[in-house]
Amino acid sequence: MLWEIWGRHKVKFFWDGAALAASCFFVFWKNHGASQAVGEMLGCATFFFFLGGYGQLLVCLCNFEVDDRTMQFSFPRRLLLKPVSTAWLVLVAMFSGGTVIVTIFVLWAELVWRHVAGFSASDLLWTSAVLLSFFWWMQALAWSLPLPKARMLLLVLMGMLHYFVWRMPQMRANAFSGWQWPILFALLGSAVPAAWIGLKRMRQGSWEGSSRISELWSSVRIASARDRQKKFRSAFAAQFWLEWLRQGWMLPGISAAMALLIVAVFGAVTWVLRKVSGNSWSGGDPETLGLTYPFILALLILPLQISVLLTPVLAKFDRVQLSSELPVYIAIRPMTNGGFVLAKLVMALATSVLTWLVVAAAFVCLILMDQDALLSKAGLVTPLGPLPLMTGCVPVLLLLIVWTWKNLVDGIGAGLNRYAWIGLASVYWRMIFLVGLFPLVETARTNVIFRETLLHWLTTILIACLAAKIAVAIAAFGWSLRRNAITARAIGWIAGGWLVCGLFVAGYAGHVCSAIHQPGLRLWVALGGFLILPLADLAIAPLALAWNRHR
Amino acid sequence: MQLRISIQDGAPIYQQIVEQVKYLVAAGRLKPGDDVPPIRVLAEQLRINPNTVARAYLELEREGIVTMRQGFGTTVAQVKKHLPRREKLRLLAEPADVLLTNAHHLDVGLEEVVILLHERDAAMQPKSSK
Amino acid sequence: MKFPSPSSAEAVIAVSGLSRHFGTKTALNDVSVFVTRGSVLGLVGENGAGKTTLIKHLLGSLKAQAGSVRLFGLDPVRDPVGVLGRVGYLSERRDLPGWMRVDEFMRYTQAFYPAWDEAYAGQLLKQFQLDPAQKIKSLSQGQQAKIGLLTALAYRPELLILDEPSSGLDPVVRRDILEAIIRIVAEEGRTVLFSSHLLDEVERVADHVIMLQQGRVVLNGRTDEVRGEHISAVLAFAEPPAKTPVLAGAHAVAGYGSEWRVLFGGSHLELETAAVSIGARVVEERTPTLDEILVARAGGKS
Repeated sequence: MLWEIWGRHKVKFFWDGAALAASCFFVFWKNHGASQAVGEMLGCATFFFFLGGYGQLLVCLCNFEVDDRTMQFSFPRRLLLKPVSTAWLVLVAMFSGGTVIVTIFVLWAELVWRHVAGFSASDLLWTSAVLLSFFWWMQALAWSLPLPKARMLLLVLMGMLHYFVWRMPQMRANAFSGWQWPILFALLGSAVPAAWIGLKRMRQGSWEGSSRISELWSSVRIASARDRQKKFRSAFAAQFWLEWLRQGWMLPGISAAMALLIVAVFGAVTWVLRKVSGNSWSGGDPETLGLTYPFILALLILPLQISVLLTPVLAKFDRVQLSSELPVYIAIRPMTNGGFVLAKLVMALATSVLTWLVVAAAFVCLILMDQDALLSKAGLVTPLGPLPLMTGCVPVLLLLIVWTWKNLVDGIGAGLNRYAWIGLASVYWRMIFLVGLFPLVETARTNVIFRETLLHWLTTILIACLAAKIAVAIAAFGWSLRRNAITARAIGWIAGGWLVCGLFVAGYAGHVCSAIHQPGLRLWVALGGFLILPLADLAIAPLALAWNRHR
Repeated sequence: MQLRISIQDGAPIYQQIVEQVKYLVAAGRLKPGDDVPPIRVLAEQLRINPNTVARAYLELEREGIVTMRQGFGTTVAQVKKHLPRREKLRLLAEPADVLLTNAHHLDVGLEEVVILLHERDAAMQPKSSK
Repeated sequence: MKFPSPSSAEAVIAVSGLSRHFGTKTALNDVSVFVTRGSVLGLVGENGAGKTTLIKHLLGSLKAQAGSVRLFGLDPVRDPVGVLGRVGYLSERRDLPGWMRVDEFMRYTQAFYPAWDEAYAGQLLKQFQLDPAQKIKSLSQGQQAKIGLLTALAYRPELLILDEPSSGLDPVVRRDILEAIIRIVAEEGRTVLFSSHLLDEVERVADHVIMLQQGRVVLNGRTDEVRGEHISAVLAFAEPPAKTPVLAGAHAVAGYGSEWRVLFGGSHLELETAAVSIGARVVEERTPTLDEILVARAGGKS
């Protein structure tokens, strides 16, 4: 079994090894003469390499594959047919996987993290134990419950739980200090039986057929489908529907789940506090406020962060298919490659809008629960009262929607490619680039000469980049048109969308600049706004898809 | 009209159809004036290419066994029996060649073949005399 | 009638000099195929002979490395919309979205083809006895083939391309599918190309047959003519030959003792001449089936 995993995932082991080696090299470079800013960037780069390499390893060591019949991730069915007891299968997979995970993590920690983040030995033990527990739970979940949506949700919740557990030693609340190790052992201990039970049930065929939940879900869908329109209005609508059902609901779904959890927790906490302090509680307690802001921040940042990671998933046409090839039932449809890309773009927009509406709703719930505190604080900000603040939130909401959409579709051309590694490399590149901006800003703040030269050349740089972007877009669109990979209408939508969003971002940012009395920044911010919105990449996407579709 | 197509049989499918129709006519199961199924229907029934059926019908028409008429998309045929004598003999020449070749291979003499022909004719007689 | 003359009929499929390599392996080697409107082409060959590769080229899933591929006069790679809107395709592995329901898949496919005939689709659905509310992944193999065929037939495409339509299906389903195909052929102007291992199906339904062997076209002609070009004969030797006799023009020689069966490519006269030249005489002759021709040619190194 181990040999089989090695054989199948040789390449991934190799990639992780390469990432580790690269990170070691970066550490070496950093410690031997790199400047402060570059050093920081390298540090962040190693973090992303770790995420990518180690993350891949986690996934492949989980030992699941796509089951042909149920089309879901589960334990390889053929192993269940071997004359080996379930307990043995579970233990071998978990312990061997666990050993490898911990060993490689220790390697990473010793070679890289010690120098970058100053890891201590106790930290090492704690972190590797938490990682082991999370890995075991990942396996347990992957091998059980053939309900894909429920499983994903549980996985996210497990991830959150483990994150909180990991942070426990650092939390201020001393009530928890004695509990961390017992809780961790409880998690570790329950993972193994959970996996065993899941696998045993799978072996006995308890998971066969549709479960009652999925049947219920199906009947709900059928009932709601009866009222729906019989036909799609156009091929584009049909493709959008497919994209939405496969990919589109993921981000809003996760956000809704998280938001629900946070609102529930917050509601419970405030209710308890109210009870404890009796009716005299005014709500303006700083402790409550202390709890509110992290929650709000968590809500805000989450969709943005997740959206960056979701790009490769969005670029796929079928989540379960592991290769980058187009599914046949899509590839033979008489639709231009540009049409497929546009359907994905519109789906990403719908996803983004729905996600932020959900977050806004959660936000409103939070305010309602703690209204005295927040509204009074809001009242301090604007003397006219809370209403202008609310209306002022609308452009911010639009901005967040556009930003999330940009995160989702940036690099979609790379994701639609013939080779899956190009998409992955593009995600790495984007993250490194994004993070690399911070040390740049740091250097600009501290180093005056650097700042002067930068500001002197900034306008030229921005205009040159923008011109290059537009030139590439025009060339790519022209080529696509000639090869019938896109219709003129689709080009109109993409370019028009870019212009409108760019104008909005530039306009709003300019308005903010005037509000904070920095009119000089307006030009740069406007140019930057147009630059960060994807155009060239969207122009290349149909060509990338054509390269993939016609091999 | 019930026909049976065999792929294993050496003859091309259209020829099998032609032969079987001719046999049915000779045996009296298809009488003059009877309808032969339209091309489409026979093709679906036998699960063969309609072109093959069309070719068979064309061949049968050429030999004068059926006539084809256009009627609301389907062709209705009528069985005829009159053919110029020369044409008939010419048509019989080919099957005769096949029979004689096989006889030669099996080392069966011409006299025995003639006796066989008499026997086969007698076997067919009671049906066609109805 | 329906014997289109080469001058009047437009070539629906025109593949000329197509070659394809996957690394060092040659999948197709200088393949040329011409299919006129209204005809049925059967593509035969052993596994790995290049049938699916050729079909993928027709759909634009593979780009021609050498040679040209034209459907309705258009290049499927340069103009996927123009070509694919007129083609119905059923793949060998069916390749259906398992997560969709039958009616959802029909709705999805319908949106792409303005010529979709709802009444016909409903009729096919009833005839194939498919439950519209069932998920595709829970359908049996035969039912999946049926839904795949339904969504390929419902918009009455000018060209129907089927890759092993009967593979893995029971005889009852095979009959249904064959009947549906013949009905489409009987309609004016519809062309069908299908590849199959079931050679009796090919003989029944195909006008023309093309046999691929290791990426090359080794047989190309009308179904009945192709059979007529071969003779399955038994040769008798005066005394048993020491080893397997070699007959010029024979694709396969098998037997024991003094009687040997050969599959000969050529006329009766050529066979007689060749037999006499090696000291044997022909004792039995018949027209071989496509099956025998295929096996004989595949076994030999021709």
